[in-house]
Amino acid sequence: MRDGDALENNPEITRSALEAIHGQVFGWALSRCDYDRAAAEDLMQQAYVELLSGKARFKSQSSLKTFVFSVVQNLARSRYRRMATRLRLVREHAGQSDDAFLPAEPENNGDVWSAVKSLPARQRDVIELVFCREMTIEQASAVMGVSVGTGRVHYERAKKSLRTRLQNLTDQLT
Amino acid sequence: MNENAGNELDTSLRESLKDTFDANLDAPPFDRVFDAAEQQVRRSRRRNRWYAGAAAAAIVTALVIGLQTPDSVYIQVDDLMATTQWTAPSDVLLPTHEFDIYQELPVLLESTKPAEGALL
Repeated sequence: MRDGDALENNPEITRSALEAIHGQVFGWALSRCDYDRAAAEDLMQQAYVELLSGKARFKSQSSLKTFVFSVVQNLARSRYRRMATRLRLVREHAGQSDDAFLPAEPENNGDVWSAVKSLPARQRDVIELVFCREMTIEQASAVMGVSVGTGRVHYERAKKSLRTRLQNLTDQLT
Repeated sequence: MNENAGNELDTSLRESLKDTFDANLDAPPFDRVFDAAEQQVRRSRRRNRWYAGAAAAAIVTALVIGLQTPDSVYIQVDDLMATTQWTAPSDVLLPTHEFDIYQELPVLLESTKPAEGALL
């Protein structure tokens, strides 16, 4: 027997539970789309479509937040694979330079962001998930689709790298 | 760098990053995004139902046409002969006019001019 606001094809997810994590999921979607708000909203809608249609079925093997973050991550990967294919075709046929296809820069481009942005993608992801989305390393690893050990290595390396870079920035300022 | 300094840096890093990541975060209303997703799912279901209905109708039509058409047509020789008849070519002209075209033989003119001892 499902709750009143449980999803028809995903009885273990309720609408209110999704609403509770909506902001955090949007933040994650936003960072998956190079801070393009329209693309992030579209990604969110697609994620909800996956949940509503039952294509992505939640079986309580992780927290709902981890699960929905994973759905967004997988959709973003598919989206970028499609975009990469299209861009490759456009480049082949139009002969344009790569500069025309660089992603938009985020609005906040401070020192901290610059330091984070310079990290490799996996390290940047694990830092965002753990520091900003309040996940454990285990949850972050599940979202990223890597083992906990690998997630932990990325996390430690990212922290070490950030410490060094920010320390250098502080030293330069003083 | 000792452990305390490291933890302090962790905390400040965490706070800075959270501020940075959340700076652009102004999530669209949940209801708007979720309702749009629901509509998309409904449209998709309607479309799938329509495709399924069209496919079922096409299959039924094909079956009906297939059942109505005999598998193959074989004609028995007796049946074929029963539908045919033979009559001789018409001789209707002869009884109507009633004359014998061979009744009188034609008379050919005789030659009177000799040539080298024989008549032409």
